[in-house]
Amino acid sequence: MRIAQEMELYQKLAVLSDAAKYDVACTSSGVDRNGSGKGMGNCIAPGICHSFSADGRCISLLKILFTNECVFDCRYCLNRSSNDIVRASFTPDEVCRLTIEFYRRNYIEGLFLSSGILKNPNYTMELLYQTLYKLRNEYHFEGYIHVKAIPGAAQELIEQTGFLADRMSVNLELPTSESLRKLAPHKTRRGILAPMRQVQLRRQENKEEIMLYRNAPQFVPGGQSTQMIIGATPESDYQIIQVAEALYQKFDLKRVFYSAFVQVNQDALLPALPGGPPLLREHRLYQADWLLRYYGFGAGELLSESHPNFNVALDPKCDWALAHLEQFPVEVNRADYYTLLRVPGIGPKSARRIIQARRMGNLDFAALKKIGVVLKRAVYFITCNGKQMYPLRIEEDFILRNLLQVKERLPMETATYRQLSLFDDGRVFGQVPKELLIAGG
Amino acid sequence: MVIFLCEDSVDGIFTGVYEAWASRLGHSNVALRTAGLSNLELFAEYRTVITDAGKAARVANTIRQKMGEESYEKIYQASLANADDKSDCIYRVLTVGVSVHTDPWLAHHLMEKLQDPNVCRVSELSWKVFHEAHRYTGFVRFRELDEGVLFSEIEAEHQVLPLIGEHFSDRFPQENFMIYDHHSGDCLLHGSGKPWFIWKNAEIDNILKRDCSANEQEIQALWRTFCESIAIRERRNPHLQMQFWPLRFRKWMTEGNDS
Repeated sequence: MRIAQEMELYQKLAVLSDAAKYDVACTSSGVDRNGSGKGMGNCIAPGICHSFSADGRCISLLKILFTNECVFDCRYCLNRSSNDIVRASFTPDEVCRLTIEFYRRNYIEGLFLSSGILKNPNYTMELLYQTLYKLRNEYHFEGYIHVKAIPGAAQELIEQTGFLADRMSVNLELPTSESLRKLAPHKTRRGILAPMRQVQLRRQENKEEIMLYRNAPQFVPGGQSTQMIIGATPESDYQIIQVAEALYQKFDLKRVFYSAFVQVNQDALLPALPGGPPLLREHRLYQADWLLRYYGFGAGELLSESHPNFNVALDPKCDWALAHLEQFPVEVNRADYYTLLRVPGIGPKSARRIIQARRMGNLDFAALKKIGVVLKRAVYFITCNGKQMYPLRIEEDFILRNLLQVKERLPMETATYRQLSLFDDGRVFGQVPKELLIAGG
Repeated sequence: MVIFLCEDSVDGIFTGVYEAWASRLGHSNVALRTAGLSNLELFAEYRTVITDAGKAARVANTIRQKMGEESYEKIYQASLANADDKSDCIYRVLTVGVSVHTDPWLAHHLMEKLQDPNVCRVSELSWKVFHEAHRYTGFVRFRELDEGVLFSEIEAEHQVLPLIGEHFSDRFPQENFMIYDHHSGDCLLHGSGKPWFIWKNAEIDNILKRDCSANEQEIQALWRTFCESIAIRERRNPHLQMQFWPLRFRKWMTEGNDS
């Protein structure tokens, strides 16, 4: 039985933003577009964070569902059809009004519009299209719009909507098709990848159209992204990171988001997770994701079948460095960009600055500190003009122990005495516990 | 040692550079200080520099030609910083960058030579100013006054108004808005369809007392509702939130108070 009543705008907003919060995509980046002078809004390529929520995440877009009514019954989702929760829907005018009023007070960069499936995918996609059309053409909004592509919607609808949005995304939800079949039987892997492929191909065509005619309308200029739930199903980190790598290479995605599984439904098929959402695992996956995109690593270099999960104590880059000590030390005044990037403590900004600054003179450790290299990590792996900063052994146990124990200070600044022992085998603090041994070591 | 005391503004510092150079006393015998930011020193002769827009423009042009646009942008941003050593560091950088004895390639890439302490300091100040301006593009909150004017208050450590003025004029070309900076006392003004400008030492007491428009309270309440409901309870992390959103910014933001 359906009990329906008119809701106030603030009640609808409370319900529909609460329902949208598990979609973690929140960036407003990727598009540089000046205002035309006749409308309202512009886009800044690096994106702007307007506020931060109580869980520490950036609030940059008005993230709402158009409606939280849904005909599907995905096990992990708060809005699944078998849950008895308050359901609400916006009208296109209400969404537009909220977006414009928030935007002109500089609360947001733009709109993030997702939706539960009302009646069927085509009907829902049509509603999203109407909202975007009104926002762009009646309200003359030129800010950032991120819209979800509904899997199963007609190709024409996705294409029309793509010309109005800056970014489109469709959630992969789960890393493998077996998990998807188990937890979300209405969705298929093919049904999710089809709109992804369509948007990718249309974007390529659009780039050529723009080369021919500069003012051609742009199709999804900010690219695509997607999201996977981590911890709801028993895939290893290696499988997840391989999926992410394939998506970046084959589907030309801009971002893959990882969302730690939060227990919102009591369900036999979902894990209990007594320790709460797997936040450290999510953090390691994001670190690995950055290594894939900015540092030139491959998924096979970070993990393998024999070592399928990330080290709990060390980030993936340090882990890789300790497993490949034959590549170090790196001479800072001679190494090329990608070799410098492999050193823990040197990131893309520091590597670029090192290469620019060394054209004008040799660099020493004081200069490296000014450049912004994190010396407390890098000092084990680099030399300047052939010399290390302090005489340090390039040896796994020694470096690992120091990286884990010396939190803020360089090694020589801590106590330099050693407890002597009759059985002097070079170990200062005893055996390294087995869980902390690094990959391949 | 002759110390040239400049006004705390871009034009003031560039005029100071012009005067110090034109005095022909020798670079090691002169120094620049900013009025209001630095302490007075013993054993030095002080000369006050009267800001001249023409001289400042000539210095700016020379920098653009000899050192390139990106270097000019860095030096411009550094001159907006709230630091007592900024004018002297800028002067030392320019003695190398603009000098006829430096070859053109080095002059264009001088700002990358981070081994040089003055270049490093100017780069650091420039980044601080840019970073604060970028944060304020997100943290500025407007409220609509009863005549349809959007009004905002901020309290920025550095002089960020020139940098955010460009951003907001492009974003809201049809709106009338004002951004008042409590720290410097300046106010950024923009009329619908017109370019922006800065009103120095603005007197806006009567504007601060004005009422907001009819639906302002409703929109603010909606925004606070949204910010609360978007957070995932199981991932609450006030320390992380404070890292990204320091408490000093929250004073003038809708969702940072009364919530």
